Amino acid sequence: MANDNIASGFFRSSVAYGDRLFYSDASRNVSYGEMGVTVRRLAGHVSQKGRPRRVGILATRSFEAYAGILAAGFAGGAYVPINLKWPESRIVTLLGLMELDALIADVNGTSLLTPDVLAAAPDCIVIADAAKRPEVVRNSQSIVHFNEIEAEPLSQPMQVEADDLAYIIFTSGTTGLPKGVMISAGSLANYLAESRSWTALTPDDRLAETCDVTFDLTVHNLFLCVEAGASLHILSSLEMMAPGRFVRAREITVWMSVPTLIAMMRRNGSLKPGIFPSLRLSIFCGEPLPVAAAEAWAAATPNGVVENIYGPTEGTVICMRQRFTSPPVETKGRGILAIGKPYDSMEIAILDSEQQVLPEGQAGEIALSGPQLAIGYLGAPEQTADRFRNLRGKRWYLTGDLGLRDETGTYHHLGRTDNQVKVKGNRIELEEVEAHLRKAADTDVVAVIAWPVVDGSAQGLIGFCCSDKSDSEIEAAMLQSLPRYMVPSEIRIRNSLPVNINGKVDRRALFQQLEEAAQTTATGPARPDAAE
Amino acid sequence: MNTKSNASIRATVMSLLGERGVTQVADIEPLFSSGLLDSVAATEVLLALETDFGVDLSDEDFDITHIDTLASLEHFVASRTPA
Repeated sequence: MANDNIASGFFRSSVAYGDRLFYSDASRNVSYGEMGVTVRRLAGHVSQKGRPRRVGILATRSFEAYAGILAAGFAGGAYVPINLKWPESRIVTLLGLMELDALIADVNGTSLLTPDVLAAAPDCIVIADAAKRPEVVRNSQSIVHFNEIEAEPLSQPMQVEADDLAYIIFTSGTTGLPKGVMISAGSLANYLAESRSWTALTPDDRLAETCDVTFDLTVHNLFLCVEAGASLHILSSLEMMAPGRFVRAREITVWMSVPTLIAMMRRNGSLKPGIFPSLRLSIFCGEPLPVAAAEAWAAATPNGVVENIYGPTEGTVICMRQRFTSPPVETKGRGILAIGKPYDSMEIAILDSEQQVLPEGQAGEIALSGPQLAIGYLGAPEQTADRFRNLRGKRWYLTGDLGLRDETGTYHHLGRTDNQVKVKGNRIELEEVEAHLRKAADTDVVAVIAWPVVDGSAQGLIGFCCSDKSDSEIEAAMLQSLPRYMVPSEIRIRNSLPVNINGKVDRRALFQQLEEAAQTTATGPARPDAAE
Repeated sequence: MNTKSNASIRATVMSLLGERGVTQVADIEPLFSSGLLDSVAATEVLLALETDFGVDLSDEDFDITHIDTLASLEHFVASRTPA
């Protein structure tokens, strides 16, 4: 019978392409053969007490992160990336939810293994060879380096069924804690079958990895890469800031990132025509793709195509795509590329506020149905029931994205129906940040605004509150419980905040104030600290 | 030469570290790849390189790993700044 093990493709390539390069970062090149040996040993180690259910990945952009993901899959378990930017208290809380059987950490991840984190961590922990081993907190816990593993290697991928859990990826929630999106092996298999046809990777492809493994664009890159026997080239977070040299020196053929990267390169003038002759496919995702940005990127990649893709984590990476063409398929009045047409196996509907299907041309909430829908949110049945609905005999996911279908059957993205924003590709629920601001400022009167907005993408967050505390005290308190990218770059303390007709804090009025202040003080580009 | 420039790029980095609660760092200790500083801080360093030291960031072969340690950053600034 069919085996939906997510590491099957990797296993085949580790046999067929043993000598070929699989993984490359600034300090290390690993072949498929070598990675195969590591993955089978690690899979054996985490299976000593039977098939693991879930394996935590306290690692990113590292050999250990990828070895951990593939080994978890090989052993028949689900992998659960843990964000290294989460503060200690959040890691402890979420470890309590995850019910891990094992934890894999790279050097940076191991530095987060404090006594409190270890107390919440599973018994079986494997750390990078170069990491200093922390003290275990109980007798049953064992921490070994990769090179100390003595367990019998697993010889082949465990039998996995379509309904089995493949991974859990966390996204921002509205309650103050992130939501864990649970994706099955069957959903991932469907995703790969759909994506294989248009990416058409071969063993000669060299893929650039720009994302952390906590972001599901890495699911796309990793699993399509390994089944094709291609190589994965990891940019450090620093190289992300000026990626030109990386792409050119490594002759990258496939690029995928958030559009913010294009904006950055355009701003400093480095995105010149023709500079990336090696790129044959460039994929942008996670934020609206401005037509001007797509044009500039296409000019830089004369031998390649540019694709704009759309999809929430809850629909397994992506489910719609639009190729950049000349003339471009544009979303009217917004200067952004359309999100295109759905994958064949996925159904898209535009719904009104009562979840009735809207006709062509009318804007409503984008809803998805089909084999890529998530199982739901980890340990959150109410939030799952709220977003995953049975409507007219089918299961649908309500994305919270506003959109419409035009007369050609092409879909367009028109923003959000709620207060979720993307800041440099990071999905953030403003309510989640506000919940933490309320606590840190010890007040009920708070608001968080995504600002400034450049090319339709938020560049940062500004917090407003009425509080007796100082902005630096509030910021320090928020950093205890939130990753830095979710803490507003500026906290403004006011005697009162504007309210709307319902008595709620009026975010729109605050946004207007920020815009007006920026226009009167600055003639140059708006920066968060240039206003007031 | 360039002691003033180096002093100020060092000051920029030390102040960014200070904001994140770090008061000491070795000259050869990685700043960004170690996670001591994040991409927001990297943006600040790049901005300083561009505006205070005239580094041309539009060079598509600009090697950003030069800014990962104080030693390499100072060396880089010295090599790019006219004496």
